[in-house]
Parts: sequence; structure tokens; C-alpha cells
Amino acid sequence: MLGAIVKRLGQMLFVMFGISVLVFLIFFATPGADPAARIAGRNASPETLAAVRKDFGFDRPLPVQYGLLMERLFITQDLTSFVNRGWKVVPAVIDVAPVTLSLVVGAAILWVIGGVVIGLVAAATRGSVLDRTLMILGLIGVSMPVYWLGEVMNLLTQARLHDTWLFAWVPPLGYKPLTADPVGWFLTLVIPWITLATLYMGLYGRVLRANLVEAGQEDYIRTARAKGLSETRILVRHALRTSLITIVTLFGLDFGALVGGAALLTEVVFGLQGIGKLTFDSLRNFDLPVIMATVMYASFFVVVANALVDLLYVVLDPRIRKA
Amino acid sequence: MTAATAAPLLEAVGLSKNFTIGGRLSPGGLKTVRAVDNVSLQVWPGETVGLVGESGCGKSTLGRCLVRLYDVTSGELRFKGEDISHYGRRQLRPIREEMQMVFQDPYASLNPRRRVGDLIAEPLRVHGRRTRAEIDARVRELMGLVGLSADQLQRFPHEFSGGQRQRIGIARALALEPHLIVADEPVSALDVSIQAQIVNLLADLQDRLGLTYVIIAHDLSVIRQVSDRTAVMYLGSIVELGPTDEVYRAPAHPYTQALISAVPVPDVDRAARQRIVLTGDVPSPIDPPAGCRFHPRCRFAQDRCRRERPALREIAPARTVACHFPLLEIEHAHRPNPLSRGAGEG
Amino acid sequence: MLKVRGLKVSFRSEHGLVRAVDDVSFDVGEREILGVVGESGSGKTISLLTVMGLINDPNAVIEGSIVYKGRELLGLPQRELRHVRGKEIAMIFQDPMTALTPVYTIGWQIAEQVLTHNAVSKRTARERAVELLTAVGIPNPEVSVDRYPHQLSGGMRQRAVIAMALSCNPSLLIADEPTTALDVTVQAQILELIQKLRRDFGSAIVLITHDMGVVAEVADRVQVMYAGRIVERAAKRDIFKGPRHPYTWGLLDSIPPLDGPRPHRLKSIAGMPPSLLALPKGCAFGPRCRYRFEKCGEPPRLAGSGGHDSACFLSPESRAAAWAGRLLDDKAVS
Repeated sequence: MLGAIVKRLGQMLFVMFGISVLVFLIFFATPGADPAARIAGRNASPETLAAVRKDFGFDRPLPVQYGLLMERLFITQDLTSFVNRGWKVVPAVIDVAPVTLSLVVGAAILWVIGGVVIGLVAAATRGSVLDRTLMILGLIGVSMPVYWLGEVMNLLTQARLHDTWLFAWVPPLGYKPLTADPVGWFLTLVIPWITLATLYMGLYGRVLRANLVEAGQEDYIRTARAKGLSETRILVRHALRTSLITIVTLFGLDFGALVGGAALLTEVVFGLQGIGKLTFDSLRNFDLPVIMATVMYASFFVVVANALVDLLYVVLDPRIRKA
Repeated sequence: MTAATAAPLLEAVGLSKNFTIGGRLSPGGLKTVRAVDNVSLQVWPGETVGLVGESGCGKSTLGRCLVRLYDVTSGELRFKGEDISHYGRRQLRPIREEMQMVFQDPYASLNPRRRVGDLIAEPLRVHGRRTRAEIDARVRELMGLVGLSADQLQRFPHEFSGGQRQRIGIARALALEPHLIVADEPVSALDVSIQAQIVNLLADLQDRLGLTYVIIAHDLSVIRQVSDRTAVMYLGSIVELGPTDEVYRAPAHPYTQALISAVPVPDVDRAARQRIVLTGDVPSPIDPPAGCRFHPRCRFAQDRCRRERPALREIAPARTVACHFPLLEIEHAHRPNPLSRGAGEG
Repeated sequence: MLKVRGLKVSFRSEHGLVRAVDDVSFDVGEREILGVVGESGSGKTISLLTVMGLINDPNAVIEGSIVYKGRELLGLPQRELRHVRGKEIAMIFQDPMTALTPVYTIGWQIAEQVLTHNAVSKRTARERAVELLTAVGIPNPEVSVDRYPHQLSGGMRQRAVIAMALSCNPSLLIADEPTTALDVTVQAQILELIQKLRRDFGSAIVLITHDMGVVAEVADRVQVMYAGRIVERAAKRDIFKGPRHPYTWGLLDSIPPLDGPRPHRLKSIAGMPPSLLALPKGCAFGPRCRYRFEKCGEPPRLAGSGGHDSACFLSPESRAAAWAGRLLDDKAVS
């Protein structure tokens, strides 16, 4: 047992290490990506370039640079940005994390409840018009790119229909911290929540419905019917409980990725300064320290989410547990 | 029919097949399952050997080892005197033409995307040496041999019934004119009346083509019908081996006796007799009991049975049994008290 | 106790109407064990699933009457049928490996059935579960009650399934091939258990099987089905000692004997069962029957004397001659 945990931790560390090396190399290996030139600006003189190089340590060997970067990121935590001189990266990341968290947690609650309800109703009324409608709606939800949907939402709520009673309450784009202004916090996030949740709700609804229908063919469902249980009970207690395993593992992975910054597009569209936006900006500026920090942050969450999901799988499915 | 010939067609000497499960870091650690444990068996030309046992006894694994579908962990396998235990794929190729396998599930053993004619022709194509016309003719001949009509060659497997599919599987196995066929549960997935047809077909083919069979099944009635000699397996080893009539009439091993007595028979008079009902479940081959593998369920178990594992020994001409106190030998001598009373001649 | 009359179950399909059960009538008396024998396509399982109201295929067409203790079950709304299912009539199925929900303990699942039909406390339900597990011979019932299905072997799982089915003391237990998926020695244990339970619980049992041997061991009366119809029905002794229908003869002949002389070849029934989409006009077994004559072009009625019915036009004399012919065949080949 302990051996398995150690092995798993080792794998996680290895993955994160690999990602960091990869990102680091891409930064230096991408054609036309001379970091010094980018930092120094266009038409910089060779002396300026040389000075920049010396300043940032670009003249040191690559492995040394990597080592220093990692040390400053994790150990001393005084890594500074290439673009905004003196701006400490690690505190910056920590600062914007709550924004992403607010967005993702709120959306997650919405999409889990929505997805489960859609899946249950569709499976229970299988073959009916309601079922088909829900599935088509779900498909539409999955197909709409989140940035497009986000912009459309903005168009409606901020511009076109802003003056109508329907959307008058929508505040301008941006984030208000929870502790400072709870109502504002809530209002700024409602539309982003709905936008982000739409995609996942459709997906989860469809996946759950498929799982439930499949579970319905199983022998143990036939046994449950023969016991005289009501259809609702069979659906919720027997079919759903077994299908939940897939849904929960899916959720773990999605949630982990989103918290790590995969809600990038949503944040950009709605002007929320979260991890995603930070990553986005740093990529535009080729700001390696920030990129590295956000990438490490994201990969950490993904890797941890994976591990937690595997753990959860064991908890949810007694067949996996060893006696 | 047993022909008198000098050498056995197929011989297994101390054959073992192990599987490993788990890993060093998983709960319980690395475990070795001795699916086939030191089995020695001779198959003579023209005869039918029946392998019978319950789940986990290793009969299917042994069958696959005999045709080298699995690699052998230890021991020897000799075909026509040649030691094929460690042959690689290339060396096995000519051997494969001479021994073939028929599988249990007629629904799974035929590729659903291929036409039946192609499925039967495939072994011929793979081994080359025939023209297209020859292959065609042979396929038709085979269909006729198994009782199917040649105008069904273009159909797909799902268009046939279970019994017909099994016939196709048999036709495929016969394509290369093998000497030996190992059939793994050839009829258990079929309805009773179709089983009888296939059993008859196998017997007809044996007479006509001079085949040698190893039939593996859990159904004791079927094994009795088709086999000249029967081997009873339990947890990876043979516990009894002998001429079918004698093994069934007077079983020497307590497990064989219990097995035969457990079979429900369509005879109302026999139903009145006492049944030997074994307690407990069929144990798992992962952690077999010490000593004689059968001792926890054996009515006659003694101290010696718990400590010492019995080897297969001959108790009568051509009859071997792996038991310290076989039921035959001790008919005449002092028999230890059974732990619970059972009826029957023993 | 259970009276089924004129039961017809068909399924609409793109190829036509599949007649799975074609005018089947039978009774099940209190405390008796009725063996229903047939091969695939005989309709044996579907007819009993219909009794339980477990056919929920929207393409199913069901006609006839199923009267249980004086009450018509066919046509009852699901709400009311649910009170009968699991409480008065219980059913167990073939494969114990997949019959139980894998994510709940067996104790929980048994208690669920008890609680669905009885207004008792959770604790009482759990105690009942332990009681039942003891009755079916599961070792260490207080511990086993908290085990998950995958932790039990096939035989133990089937016992747990039987315990669950009996939890509300049903008057009728329907067992669909309960031992087919089990090893022979375990099968023997389960059959012994079923007989014991009939003694202890007093339920009637309908045992569906393809195995005439099982029926010989356990049944009181036997009913043979073919192509959705009952072709013969009699007390056990009569069916084995003096079967009347050529299909029954064929079934019995197809089983290789476990003792006595070995036949050179088994007397198998030629051909295959008919497609349920296109049943023959007369006797469904006609095309495969050795003793077929002109009258067999009409559908035979299930009739007979002394509790022994068969659906065959052979007169008693012709039947006796055919039977004698069979015995001669036996002597010739052995």
C-alpha cells in the first residue's frame, strides 16, 4: 500500500518535472523567440541586447538557467517577471487564484446539478420528446465555443439589452472580491458561471444519460425490478449510483484542469483577472517566469486531480478495493 | 477406438503453466497462479481423451498449452516424438497444421466481419501451398463434411445459429487435415438437442478422418459419451485418469465420485439414491490448500492428506489416481471412517 | 394459486411479429415445484417474466389472463404490480455474478427489499437479512451481511440472491435457470437448498431450466415447452417413465447417459427450432418430427388424461408403436 503511494508521488513529480522542462525548452527553442530581443523591444541595439542578456542571465548555460528559475520559483519564491521588472511572480499567482476559484467552483455547482438533472430526466423519459430535446440542447451546449458564447452573452447583457430590466443588474466586466463586496462578487460572476457551465452541463447530461441507459440493461437492474422497487428508486439508488463513478471521475479531472487555469477563455472574455488571464497575458508577452509559474500551478492541479480521482474511484467502486 | 501404436501422438510430461498476478507494489504483492501444475498425459493416435473438471481446474489452460497457444512454464510437450515445448513461432508453423483447436463460444470465435467462406479458407491461405481453385474446392468439401450447404459460404456468422456456427468452427479446424483436434467446451454454449447433433458430428468425423481428439468440458455426461479415456482435473492437476467406462462406473478418487454423483440425471429412480453433496466452494487456484488439494472438502481426509501431496500412481491397469486412500484399492482392505456418512459403494 | 390462461406474448419487429409465447395456459398449486423445460426460443422465460410484469418492451403485445390468488395481474398498473412483485411473487435469475448491484452490500440489498414491502425499522430489516443468510447456509452471516457481492463466490452469491428473494415470504418463487451458470458440485448444493426452502418456507416454486436432469431431481410436475407452446405436461414420474410427445422423447434422447451402456450415436433431433417470426401452420414441432403424418398440418391442442397432457395427434396406439420402435432402436445401437 505504502509502496503504491510512493510510486504514485514519484510519478506525479516526474510529470511535473517533465512539463517544466518542456515549457522551458519551448521558450528557448521556439523559432524567432530570442527572449532578449523580446524584452529589449524592437530595434534594440546590440549593446542593449547584450546588457539585457547579462541582466537576465541568458548568457548562462541552459541547465543553469533552468535550475535558477526553479529555485527562485519554488524555494526562495522571489522570482520576478521578465516584462514587468521587479514584479514578484509567486505572490501574483496567489493573488489571482481566488478569482479563478470563484469562477470555477460556482460554475461547477451549476453544471453538476444541471448535468445530473438533465441526465436523470432524459434517461427516465427515454425515447420521448423531452429526452430528445434535452439531448439536442446538450449537444448545442457542447458545440458552442465558450469564447463565442461569452461574447454573445456580453453583447446581450452589456450592450444591446443592458438597459432592459432583464440585464440591467449586470455590472460592468471585472471581478469584485468576495470579502469586499459580496453582492457585487455574485453579480459579476453570474453570467460567467452560466457561460462556463453550459458546455459542461451539456456534456455531463449526455454522458450520464448514456451511462444510465447502459446500466439499465444490466442484470442487477432486472433484479431490482423483480424486488418490486419503484422505477425512481431503481434509477436513483441503483443505476445512478453505479453511473456516478464515471461522472465523478470525469468531474475530478475537469475541475482540476479548470482550477489550474483552463478557464482561460472565459476569464479573458469576461475580464476576470484569474489564473487563466494571467497565463494568457504572460504568453502574449513571452514572460517566461510567469509562464512557468502558471504552468506549474496548472500542472500541479491536474496531477493532483488525477491522483484524487483514482483514489475516489476506489472509494466509490467496492470492486476495486482489495479485501 | 484405440489403435495400438508405438508412440503417443501428443505427450505432456510434467507440464506446468503459471500466471503471475498483481505486482510488487500492489496489495498482496506478486502472486503466482499455478493454473496447470505438473501434468503428465499421453494422447494416443485415434483415441479421444476427455478432460473434465470444474471452473479453475485448469482444463482450458491445459488445452491451450497442448496446442501451444500458450507458452509452457516448465515441463515438456512432445508431438509425434518431437519436443515442441520451446519452439518459436516459425518452428511451430508446420506443427500447427497437424493440431488444431475448436473453441467454446461459437459467437465469439468467428470474426463477425468476415464471410464464412473466408473464415474457413483462412488457414489454407495462411499456410500457402494451394491454388485458389484448390482452396475453393476444399472449403466446399469441408462445408459438406460438417453438414452445411455450400451456398451459405457468402454469409456472415451472425446469420447462422449457434449450432451452425460451431460447425463452421469445426470446418475451419479441419481445413489443414490435422491429426489432432483439441476442442474446448465444444457444446456447452448450445441447446441440448443441438449438443447431441454436434457430439454425433464429432464422432462421425473421427471415424471418417481418423482424428484424435482431446475434448475439454465441464459436462460429465458429454465427456462420458465421447471419450475413450477420461482425466479428471482439480486445481491444476489430474486427480484421476483411466478408461471412461471404468472411471464412471467405479471412480477411485473421492472428488470424481462426488462429481459424478452431483450431476442431475433425467432418471426418477436414480434421484432416489443418496447424493454426495460437497461442502464449500471450488477453491481458487491462487492460494491452494496444503497437502492434497482436495482435502478440505474430502469426506475421507486423514492427517496424511493434510500434510502430504499425493502423486499420480497406478492402482489398476491403465488407471491412475492421485490419492492416498483411493476408493478402489481400499474396497478390499480397511477403509478409514468417512467424516460424514454417505451412501453408495464408495 | 396461479392460473395462467391463454397467454400470448409477441414482439413487433421490423421483420414482423415475433410470437414468443403462443397461447400458453398452466396452473401452479400451493407448495408445488413446477419444472418448466425448454430450449432457447421455447418461451419458457418470457412467459414467466410476463407473470412478474417485467416485460417493459414497448413493442410487446400481451394478451390473456394471469390470475394470482383470485386477482387478475395482467393489465394492473405498475404501481399495484410492484406490491405483488418481490412480496408475493419473487424471481431469481440465471447469472449470480451480475445479479446484485455491485456498489451495495448484500445486507443492504436484502434489507432494501424488506423495507420496500414492510413498514419496519432498519434494524429489524438487517436482522431479517442475517436470519435469511443463515437459512440459506451462508457461513458467518453476521459478517457476510456487510460483504459486497464481488467478495462472494458464485455459489454464495446465488444463495444470497435466493435469500433476498425469500425475504418477504413470497408464496411463489420463480427461478430462471438458477444453476446453469454454476459448477456441478455447487449446483447440487443449490438444488438441495431449493428443496429445503420449499419445506421450510412453504413457497411454490417454478423452476425454469433446459436440463431434464435438474427437473428429475427437484420437480413435482413438469411442463415441456417448444416454440412458445406447451407440448407436454405431467407429473414428474409420468414424464420420465412414459413421455408422450416426440419432442420430449427427443430431448431425453439427446442427453448422454451417465451410466449404463453408451449409445454409439445419440438420437438427436434433426434440424433446428423454427423461427418465431414464421411458425409452421400446424404443429410447431412437425417439420422435425419423425412420426409426422397428415393431421399434423393442423395445430394440435394440449389434451390428455390423468393429469398427463400432450399436444400431439398421435393416437395412444400409434404412440405405443412409436415407443416400441424407439426401444428397438436403442437395442440396435448399444
